[in-house]
Amino acid sequence: MLKKFINDPEKVVDEMLEGFLEAHGNRIKRLETSRAVVRREAPIKGKVGLVTGGGSGHKPAFIGYVGEGLMDGVAVGNIFASPSAQQIHDTVKAVDGGKGVLCVLGNYSGDIMNFDMASDMAKEEGIKVEQVIINDDVGSGSRDQMKNRRGVAGEVVVWKLIGAKAAEGANLEEVKKVAEKANANTRSMGVAHSPCAVPSMKYGGEETFHLGEDEMEIGVGHHGEPGVEKTKMKTADEVTQILAEKVLEDLPFKTADEVNVLISGLGSTALLELYIVYRKLAQILKKRKIKIYRSYIGEFFTSLEMGGFSITLTRLDDELKRLLDAPANSPLFVQA
Amino acid sequence: MSDKEIPYRKVKKMLEEIVDTLGEKKEYLNRLDAEIGDGDHGRTVFETFEKALDKIKLEEKDSDVGTLLKEVGRTIAFSGGAATGPLFGTAFIEAGKAIEGKSEIKLGDWLRSVKAAEEGIKKRGRAQVGEKTMLDTIHWVSESLQKSVDEKESLEKALIRAEKAAQEGMESTRDIVSKRGRSSRLGERTKGHLDPGATSSYYIFSSIIKNCLD
Repeated sequence: MLKKFINDPEKVVDEMLEGFLEAHGNRIKRLETSRAVVRREAPIKGKVGLVTGGGSGHKPAFIGYVGEGLMDGVAVGNIFASPSAQQIHDTVKAVDGGKGVLCVLGNYSGDIMNFDMASDMAKEEGIKVEQVIINDDVGSGSRDQMKNRRGVAGEVVVWKLIGAKAAEGANLEEVKKVAEKANANTRSMGVAHSPCAVPSMKYGGEETFHLGEDEMEIGVGHHGEPGVEKTKMKTADEVTQILAEKVLEDLPFKTADEVNVLISGLGSTALLELYIVYRKLAQILKKRKIKIYRSYIGEFFTSLEMGGFSITLTRLDDELKRLLDAPANSPLFVQA
Repeated sequence: MSDKEIPYRKVKKMLEEIVDTLGEKKEYLNRLDAEIGDGDHGRTVFETFEKALDKIKLEEKDSDVGTLLKEVGRTIAFSGGAATGPLFGTAFIEAGKAIEGKSEIKLGDWLRSVKAAEEGIKKRGRAQVGEKTMLDTIHWVSESLQKSVDEKESLEKALIRAEKAAQEGMESTRDIVSKRGRSSRLGERTKGHLDPGATSSYYIFSSIIKNCLD
């Protein structure tokens, strides 16, 4: 069992949300009809509405990114479980400012089924809805199985980019194109040395997977899904080398490419370690003459208390660079 | 009480039976799920059907069984969430549609209804039989009903046989390597474990049959 400070395993999401709204209620609000969070000013007339959502347990994703230059609404599922079609539908409706709504979701069967049904419902009501499925995780399938790859921390990069695009006043088609371009140019891979636990008891929950004292899982998923290899612990430099190579070779990223780097802790890995990882990654990229245009190091998409991190690279063109630099302001992501 | 209320009372009692059974098996299903998934399947299906029971309205008391099943399915599909909501919901919607307007449900209707549910799940989940999912339970049921129709069995006999088939279908998932959903990422490691969705499907199906045989 992993220990947690909770009150009731069945109420963790609702109680978290109460606290979140208490803290950030000046900028976001909860829908009356469904467990979902939208910007206070939603729907925004003349702007494409942006919706995402998924299971809880990934703070700051997903609700931390509801704000200016980012998402307009998020449907909040139970821990690691998709929100319902009803929740997603209500969110879509709440953020539709007349210019249509783009739904961006990770490649998970539950999320896909619920988003599909929600889109059908919204379309029947005359709302223009488009959908882009993110599958940036190199650790969850080979290149010829791209369709099976999961969506992980690359989702954050996509949200940032489409958030900026929609804020510029682009139409639904244009915002969707940016989402597709961002997804096509983004690759991630994670590693974990300790598991997470879905709350199921008064003081914690059972580990979702097991690793020996001296083991780690390369390519681990955001819910503890196994990756490409279970192996003996290695140093930060060695692990970073392995992840970077897999990510770089997959797209592939080439000399003179300009990239965004996102290193995300999975929940219980210290920022100190993440900077050690970044140090090595920067060295590797320099050696390959790949230019780091921007970098984000911290917790951007976690898996409860999992110990580990993920590396995400996005190849940038002029448009993506401009969008990346645009300001953003949400409860858990601020960029001046 | 008018005759027209009979379908409503039947469907409501069926849902109560399902909720009772899933409540009893909640922890067991959570444990099964923890072995090859994330450990919340019991709770998720229980809450999903509890919500459907809460929502089934008296105004619909004049409807036939098929229409009621369809409405139950819609509630489950749209408010259930996770992967189970859309899948179980679609099963009930399609099962209901197949027998809409019927006042008496005969063996042939049972077969049509279960087959429709099976097809619905296949489509919604982009899944096939033999991939270690709830389809494995429901497919054994539809095959059993087909045999009963071919052999001109009585409805009662056919339902008892179908209940056994559901259990065998559930058991069959133990030897299958998962190819769908979160557990598929564990590959070979899923062998030897019952599929939680096939297991909850068995409990649901068994509750439905028990309710019909009463």
